[in-house]
Amino acid sequence: MHKKANIIFFTLGLLILIGVYLVFRYSGDSYMNMNTVSTDVEISSGELISSFIVDEDAANLMYRGKIIEVEGIIKDITFLNNRNTIFLYGKNKYSSVICDMYPNQEGEIKDLKKGQKIKIKGVCKGFLKDAILLNCMLINTTINE
Amino acid sequence: MNKFIVLIFFFINFTDFDAKSDQFITRQGQVSFFSYTSVEDIEAKNNQVLSIIDISKKEIAVSMLMNAFVFKKSLMHEHFNESYIESDLYPKATFGGKIIDFDPSDASMQTRMVKGNLTIHGITKAVEIKTTIEQIDGSYIITGDFEVPVKDFDIKIPPILAPNIAKIISIKFRFEYQHYEK
Repeated sequence: MHKKANIIFFTLGLLILIGVYLVFRYSGDSYMNMNTVSTDVEISSGELISSFIVDEDAANLMYRGKIIEVEGIIKDITFLNNRNTIFLYGKNKYSSVICDMYPNQEGEIKDLKKGQKIKIKGVCKGFLKDAILLNCMLINTTINE
Repeated sequence: MNKFIVLIFFFINFTDFDAKSDQFITRQGQVSFFSYTSVEDIEAKNNQVLSIIDISKKEIAVSMLMNAFVFKKSLMHEHFNESYIESDLYPKATFGGKIIDFDPSDASMQTRMVKGNLTIHGITKAVEIKTTIEQIDGSYIITGDFEVPVKDFDIKIPPILAPNIAKIISIKFRFEYQHYEK
């Protein structure tokens, strides 16, 4: 009887632990904190755009869902829809890397200027007319040209 | 879907110069969807939606990455992409259509129907969407909302989660266009 009770308590304890893990694992928002994940790929904004234009399917396999550090020149900075967004030049003037910045980056973004070379870490979501990176953070501060 | 990509490519690259001056683009269109049930409310936003309008042809094209929707909870994001929308197989949703009776010379706010084809999860359906078109400083803002029945797009919800997901999903959009210059 005593042994049976131990098994029940052990099973219940295990279920509670799994429950707590799942709550912590999944209760956060769908933003990914770039400080806690390692980089999969380092690439320039021009090369990233070129890869998608040459072969979108192949580029998706290489970059979609991956944590990317992308270096490039700032084409534009926008604050539309309450989002802080940095556009980096691609190799042609029609396509850019769109970096949707993590909300805590607002202070750093205000100090940036068009034409400045920067490095950004984010998760690549794919390509429409531009490559799209979400959850982005500036890294190594700015590299002034 | 491939035909749509060709259409956008054609739109951007091969129309003549005069036609280009009638084109407007947004790379930061906003699309939100809402699922309301007694069990759970689910909401997600995509702020990187691509849309191009041609005001002389009265045409509109929209394309978005399904995995770029941001949810309040990461588990919702995971279920949406892996189980329902299968964004690895069907990464984009697209819409291409005509703005009916649109008058580009009318600077006042216009309410117009847009008729076209909506493709989600690899399934294409003809839809009609009521939109509001504002002309501000020579550019355009198009907003609207519509509803999509989940079953129309072959999105399978596991029976255990059926009470959590609405049968009809509400969709809102706002596209703030800029003149498209090459």
